[in-house]
Amino acid sequence: MFRILRVTGDSMSPEYQEGDFVVIATGPLFSRRLRDGDAIVFQHQHYGTLIKRVQRITDEGIYVVGAQENSLDSSRLGPVRRRNVRGRVVWHIRRRYSDK
Amino acid sequence: MIHQLFSTLDKKYHFGRAQAHCDVPCGIYDPSTAQIAALTVVRMMDLMAGLESEGVAAHNSMARYIAVKEEHAEKAKHEIRVIWGDYFKKDKHPNVDELVHKIMQLGSKARQTADRETGVALVEAINEFAAIFWETKGVATKKAKAPYAPALEMVYPDL
Repeated sequence: MFRILRVTGDSMSPEYQEGDFVVIATGPLFSRRLRDGDAIVFQHQHYGTLIKRVQRITDEGIYVVGAQENSLDSSRLGPVRRRNVRGRVVWHIRRRYSDK
Repeated sequence: MIHQLFSTLDKKYHFGRAQAHCDVPCGIYDPSTAQIAALTVVRMMDLMAGLESEGVAAHNSMARYIAVKEEHAEKAKHEIRVIWGDYFKKDKHPNVDELVHKIMQLGSKARQTADRETGVALVEAINEFAAIFWETKGVATKKAKAPYAPALEMVYPDL
């Protein structure tokens, strides 16, 4: 299954920018196939639905990072549990300025 | 075009949001501050060169021009360092490193001297940096003369 989401915030800038769309592949099959460097969308109990990049995958969970110095990452969020992963980004639709 | 299609669908169906969240507000980067600071450096150099009178008043003016030149050369360097360090990623923009190093050196030389050519070179190098920055944002740029002295050609986002 697939789901469309709109990106808010600049933590993943410059690759993923405010207003971009992403299509994520959902379901346990996709979360099992995650690799380092994948962009994933997951649920966090305090911050809601977040998009981050997989830094490394361990037995205790998935460590994620943003792209900015001030980005929230697993040093604050902790490792993401697989059951909280909503999907892996499979298509990125960038917002060009002329599309604004 | 695809983005426009998704935007239209989003207005109708309200897609979910995926937050790229930061600890503190971030992502507000704009090279225009550095560009204006570099222009100010050239402006101060021009004022210094054009100071003809003598006496205490002239010394006072010269001291002020030099102080402002020092301040804005350093400000330009600072602003570029922040964008370079916080925004640009080495693996994606490897050529920026060399340009930033050049800007740092020109900024220092602009402080050390009153050489207008150095000031203009600083403006040009920061314009080049601005063009690269806006390109990464997908924003087109245009060149136009600054609408105030020293009226050098600048790179502006074509909004």
